[in-house]
Amino acid sequence: MGRRSFLRGLGTCLSLPAMESLLPMRMAAAEAGGAVTASGAPLRMAFLYIPNGVILDKWRPVGEGKDFQFGATMEPIAKHKESLQIFTGFEHANGWAGKDGGGDHARANATVLTGARPKKTSGSDIQLGMSVDQVAAREVGAATRFKSLELTCDAVRASGGCDSGYSCAYQFNLSWRSETQPATPEPSPRLVFERLFGSGDKEERAKSFMARQQKQKSILDFVMEDAKAMTKQLGRNDQNKLDEYLTGVREIEQRIASMEKFGPPPDPGSEAPEEGIPGGYEAHIRLMMDMQVLAFQTDSTRISTLLLAHDGSNQTFKEIGVPDGHHSLSHHQGDAVKIAKIEKIDLFYARQLAYYLDQMSRVKDAQGGSLLDNSMVVYCGGLSDGNRHRHDDLPVIVAGRAGGHFQPGRHVKLGSNTPMSNLHLRLLKEMGCKTDRFGDATEMLKMI
Amino acid sequence: MRSFLNCWIGMWMLVLPAGAAVPLEEDFRKNVEPVLSTYCYDCHADGVDKGDFSMDSYESLSAHLEDREVWLRVWDNLRSHLMPPADKEQPLDAERAKLAGWIERNVFKLDPANPDPGRVTIRRMNRQEYKNTVEDMLGVDFNVEDALPPDDTGYGFDTIGDVLSISPMLMEKYLDAARRIVEVALKPQKAEMPKIVIGGDEFKAPAPLKKTGKWLPFSQPTEVTRKKVVEHAGEYQVTIDFQTTGSEEATNHAATLGLKVNGAEVDAESLGWDNRKSVKFSTKVKLTEGENRITLVTKETEKPLEGEKPLTLVVNRVTMTGPLDGRVKVYPKDYYRVFYKGGAPKEPAEREAYAREILRRIADKAFRRPVDEATLNRLMELYGGAAKEPKTVFEEDVGYAVTAVLASPKFLFRAEVQAEPNNPAKVVPVDEFALASRLSYFLWSSLPDAELFELAESGELRANLADQVDRMLDDPKAGRFVENFVGQWLQTRDVEGINVDPRRVFGIRDLGDAFKVFGGKQRRAMKLETELFFANLIKENRSALEMFTADYTFLNETLAKYYGIEGVKGDEMRRVSLTKESHRGGVLTHGSLLVVTSNPTRTSPVKRGLFVLENLLDTPAPPAPPDVPALEDAKKGAKEKMTMREMMVVHREKALCASCHARMDDLGLALENFNAAGMYREDEGGAAIDTAGRLITGEKFSTVAELNQILATSRRADFYRCITSKMLTYALGRGTEYFDAPTIDQISAELEKNGGKLRTLIHGIVQSVPFQKRRGDGAL
Repeated sequence: MGRRSFLRGLGTCLSLPAMESLLPMRMAAAEAGGAVTASGAPLRMAFLYIPNGVILDKWRPVGEGKDFQFGATMEPIAKHKESLQIFTGFEHANGWAGKDGGGDHARANATVLTGARPKKTSGSDIQLGMSVDQVAAREVGAATRFKSLELTCDAVRASGGCDSGYSCAYQFNLSWRSETQPATPEPSPRLVFERLFGSGDKEERAKSFMARQQKQKSILDFVMEDAKAMTKQLGRNDQNKLDEYLTGVREIEQRIASMEKFGPPPDPGSEAPEEGIPGGYEAHIRLMMDMQVLAFQTDSTRISTLLLAHDGSNQTFKEIGVPDGHHSLSHHQGDAVKIAKIEKIDLFYARQLAYYLDQMSRVKDAQGGSLLDNSMVVYCGGLSDGNRHRHDDLPVIVAGRAGGHFQPGRHVKLGSNTPMSNLHLRLLKEMGCKTDRFGDATEMLKMI
Repeated sequence: MRSFLNCWIGMWMLVLPAGAAVPLEEDFRKNVEPVLSTYCYDCHADGVDKGDFSMDSYESLSAHLEDREVWLRVWDNLRSHLMPPADKEQPLDAERAKLAGWIERNVFKLDPANPDPGRVTIRRMNRQEYKNTVEDMLGVDFNVEDALPPDDTGYGFDTIGDVLSISPMLMEKYLDAARRIVEVALKPQKAEMPKIVIGGDEFKAPAPLKKTGKWLPFSQPTEVTRKKVVEHAGEYQVTIDFQTTGSEEATNHAATLGLKVNGAEVDAESLGWDNRKSVKFSTKVKLTEGENRITLVTKETEKPLEGEKPLTLVVNRVTMTGPLDGRVKVYPKDYYRVFYKGGAPKEPAEREAYAREILRRIADKAFRRPVDEATLNRLMELYGGAAKEPKTVFEEDVGYAVTAVLASPKFLFRAEVQAEPNNPAKVVPVDEFALASRLSYFLWSSLPDAELFELAESGELRANLADQVDRMLDDPKAGRFVENFVGQWLQTRDVEGINVDPRRVFGIRDLGDAFKVFGGKQRRAMKLETELFFANLIKENRSALEMFTADYTFLNETLAKYYGIEGVKGDEMRRVSLTKESHRGGVLTHGSLLVVTSNPTRTSPVKRGLFVLENLLDTPAPPAPPDVPALEDAKKGAKEKMTMREMMVVHREKALCASCHARMDDLGLALENFNAAGMYREDEGGAAIDTAGRLITGEKFSTVAELNQILATSRRADFYRCITSKMLTYALGRGTEYFDAPTIDQISAELEKNGGKLRTLIHGIVQSVPFQKRRGDGAL
C-alpha cells in the first residue's frame, strides 16, 4: 500500500479494487508526480460541456445501479454502457441566483468546473475560482509536454454585453487558471494541431517545431526584460495585467525546457486539419474531439476541456431540422413542439459523445487497454432544466475507468443536492493532486 | 420616521462644524427629504426594506452619507428611471435631476470643475487594433481572425483594458504572429532595374477629345500621350501590353500602333484580330533625364469586310525598364518601407549602423514613443547574434530583432507611465505620446501616424488637438472607428452572422430560395447602411438626432428592393432620400438593428425594446428574474393564433413581469411593422399590427415615426447622455463610473447647445478630463 501511494504521489490513499495486481511501474511517469493510473499508465481527465440544460424526462435513465435503461435521448451512447456512469443528484449551489439576480447561463457556465460563484461584473474585476482541470494542470501537468489543452467550438462572440450584467468571460471559458484569469480556449482545429505537433508537412514538422522553440529562447529573454522594466513603472492593477504576460512567457520557457526533456513532438500519424473553423457545427465538434483524442493518444497532455457551446448559446441545428436557436427553445414552457426540438438537440449532442467514446475506446493505450480505460471523461451541463434555469439535478456522465478505480456501467443516484465539486475533488485525487479542498465541495465523492 | 430623521440630523449637526452643516442640513430637509419621502420611503424606510434595501437604518446622517454604496444604488436607479417602479408615482424629471445632483455633490463629493479622471488599466491591443497597427506600420495584411482568438468584451466593447487579458496560449500566438509578420514584412528581395509603369488610361488624347489609351477604335486615327519624368537618362526597354476587342470572330480589320518618344516615331506594330487578353509589343528607346513625352499613334490600315465587327485597341499598360546599362538598380517599392535606404551596405560598420537605424524606426513606431538606447542596444544584440551565424541574410537578421519588438509588452500593451503610480490622489495629464496613442486608437484603431508622432515629439500635440481630431476624422482610417464603435454599439458587427432563418420568417421551404430573399447580400448591405449613415454624420458634422429624424439613408439596389424602394440601381451604396411611404427613416428602421434584435424565427419586442433602452436611452431594464415564464406560455388556453402584442399583453398580466415589461415592450412593439429579417409588413399573419404605446416617462406615440420624434425631442437629453457614455467607454477603455457624471453631463450640455453635432461629441470626449488625464492606482 505504502509503495503504491508513494508512486501515485499521494499522501493518503484510495481503496483500490482488491483484485487488481500491481503492474511494473513506469517510473518516468511516476516521477513526474501524478496523472497516472495505479498500474503506472497515463491517466487522462477530460471535460465536455453541453449548454442550456436538457429535457430530463427523456435524458434520465430508468432504473438504478447496474440495471438501468438509457433515456431516449441518450440512446446513441448505449453501446458504451459498460464504460460509463450516469449521475443523478449533482448540484452547483453557486449557480443559483442568490442575491445576484439574473444571469443563470453565465453562472451555469462559470460554476461547472470551478464550483465557485462568479462575481457579478460586466467589465473589470472578474473573479471566479480556479477550475478543476487547471488545479490538476498546476499540480500534475508537468508530466507531459502540455500541462493542459483548452478547446472550444464556440468561436463567435456577439457584440454588446453577455448574460445579465456578467462579463462574457464567464460564458466563453470553462477553464480558469486563477480566480481572475480564464484560460482562453482555442477554436481552430488546425491551430490546435500545429500547437501540438508543429507546422509544415510531416517531415518538416518535428524539425520546425524544435528550431522555432530554440529561436524563441532569446526572444523570450528580450521580452521578459522589457516586461520587468515596464512593471517597475506601473501601478498595482497594471502590474497584475503585466503579470499575465509574464506568466505566459514563463510558461513558454517551461515548454521549451520540457521539450528538451521530452524530445521533439511525436508523429501524430495524421494530416493537419484544414485551416480556419469548419463550416458545419457537427464537423467542428468532431474535429475538436479528434484533436483531444490525438493529444491524449500521443501523451501530449493528460488534461483537456472542450466547450461545445457556451451556456445561453443560440446555436441552430439545421442539419437535424431544428432551425430555431437552442437558447430560445430551451424556454419551452411545456410547449410540446419545442420540447420535441430540444430532444432532437439532446440527441444530437449524445451522438457527438458517442463519436468521442468510439474514438477513445478504439485507441489502444499503454498496457493493452483502451484510452478510455485510462481516462475520466466528464460530459456535463451547468443547467438541468433550461426552461427554469435549474442548477440542481445536473446532467452528468462520467465515462472511463480511471485505470480501474471507477466502476462504470451504472446509474448512480446520489440523493439530491450533492455538490458537483465533490466529483471534482475525487477526480483531482485520482490525478494524484494533493489538494483536499475544491470549490464548494463538502467531501470527496465515493460512489463512482 | 419623522422624529427619527430629526434626531438623525440633529446628531449630525453636532459632528460637523456649524458653518458647513447648516446649509447642508437645510438643503437636505428642504430639497432631498421630501423627494425621498414621497417616492422612496414607502418601500425602503420605516422598517420596510423591499429588495433588502432600506434607506433609514443608520445611526446618523453622517453614517448615512458615508455609505456610498447605498447612495450609488439610489443614484443609479434614479438616473436610469428604474426606481420608483413603473407602477408607482414617478418624480418629475427636474426632481430626479435635483436629487441626483445633490447626491453627486454631497455624497460622491464630485467637483465638476475638477473631475476624477479615473483609472484605465493598461490596454492590450485587441484583434482589430493589432491587425490595423501591423498594417499601418509594416504594410502587412495579417489575418487576425484565424491567428488570434476573439477578445472578451466589457461594457459592450472590446477596448476594455481590464477585460483584455493575455493567456499563455495567446502569448504563444503573439510570438507566432510576430514571426509570420516579419517573414512577410522583412522578406529579402532583389534589386532590379527600375520600372516605370503607365496605365492605359493615363494616355490622353489632346483636348477637347476625351479619348484615353483604354479605348482606341481602329477606325479613328488617334494620338494619345503621357508625360513622364525619368530620373536616369539612357536606353530603356518599352513594353506595350494591349488587347484588341470588338469581335468574337476573326475579322479583316487592321491598324498600326506607333510609338513616339518626344515627338519622334520609334517603332510601330501591326494590329489585327487577336482574342488574347494580353499581347505584348517590345522595343528599345532612348529617354532623356527629366520629362519625356510617350505617345501612342493608331492608324487604320484595312477596313473590316462587310458584316464584320470593327475592332478597338485597348492598351492595358506600358512598362519602361531601364536604363539598360544596369547602372541603376532599385528594390520593389514595399521593400523601402522597412529598408528605407535599400540593400545593406557591405562595410560591416555601415551595415550595423543601418540595422540600428532600421530597428530604431520600427521600435519607435511599435512602442509609440521614442525607443530608449538601452532597449535599442538589446535589439542590436539579437541582430548581432543572428548576424554571426554562417550564411546570414541581412533582412533575416534584422527581422529576428523585429520579432522581439512585435512580441514585446511595449508593443502589445499601451502602457501609460506616471509618477507615483500607486497614489490615487496623484492626477497628471497623460504625456503627449500617450495622448497621441489615445487619439489614434480611439479614431483609427491603430497607431499614431507620422504627423501625430512628430507633434508629440515636439510637445505640440495638445496645442493642436482640435485640428488633429478633425484631420483624423477626415482620414479614411476613421472608417475603422465607425466599424468598431458602431459595430459594437449598434451591433452592426453581428448582422452578417446572427441566426435569423429566412425560411421560417418568410415561410419559404427551399433554403436556396429563402437565401435569395434574405441572405449574405442583404445582410452585408444592412451592415453598410448603418455604418455609412453614421460615417456621414461624422463627415458632414450632422446632428446625432438624425439617428431618429433622418429622411434619408444609404442603400444599394439589393437593399432598396428589399425595402421596397424604387429607382436605385447597382451594387454601390449611396445616399437615398426617403418618402413617408417607404416607412423607413432613422436607425430604428435600419435592417441591421431590426435583425440583430430578433430571434431566429420571430421578432422579439423585448430585445428590441431593451436595445433602445440600453443603447439609446442609457436606461437598461433590470435583468429578468429566474423562473421567468416564456412568452409562448401566454398562448396556453387562449385562441389559436395570437399576434405578438396579444401574447405580450397576456404575458404582462403577471405581476412579476409587468414592472419591467412596461418599460421595454411598447418600445419594441412600435417596431412590429418590421419582421425578424427587417422587412416591412402590414400585418402579422393576417392580423392587424398595433404599434401604439407609451414610454415609461409618459410620452404617447402611435407609430415609429412618432416614437422617433419623442426620442429626438423630449428624450433628447437621455440620448445625449447615452451616446456620450457609450463613446466615452469605447474611447477610454473602461466603463463609466459615477464620478464620470460631471463629464458626461458637461458634454451632453455641449451637445444640447450645438444641436447634437457629432463632431462636438467627439471633440468633447477628446477634451474631457478622463481622456486628457490619469491618476494613480487605488481607491480614492
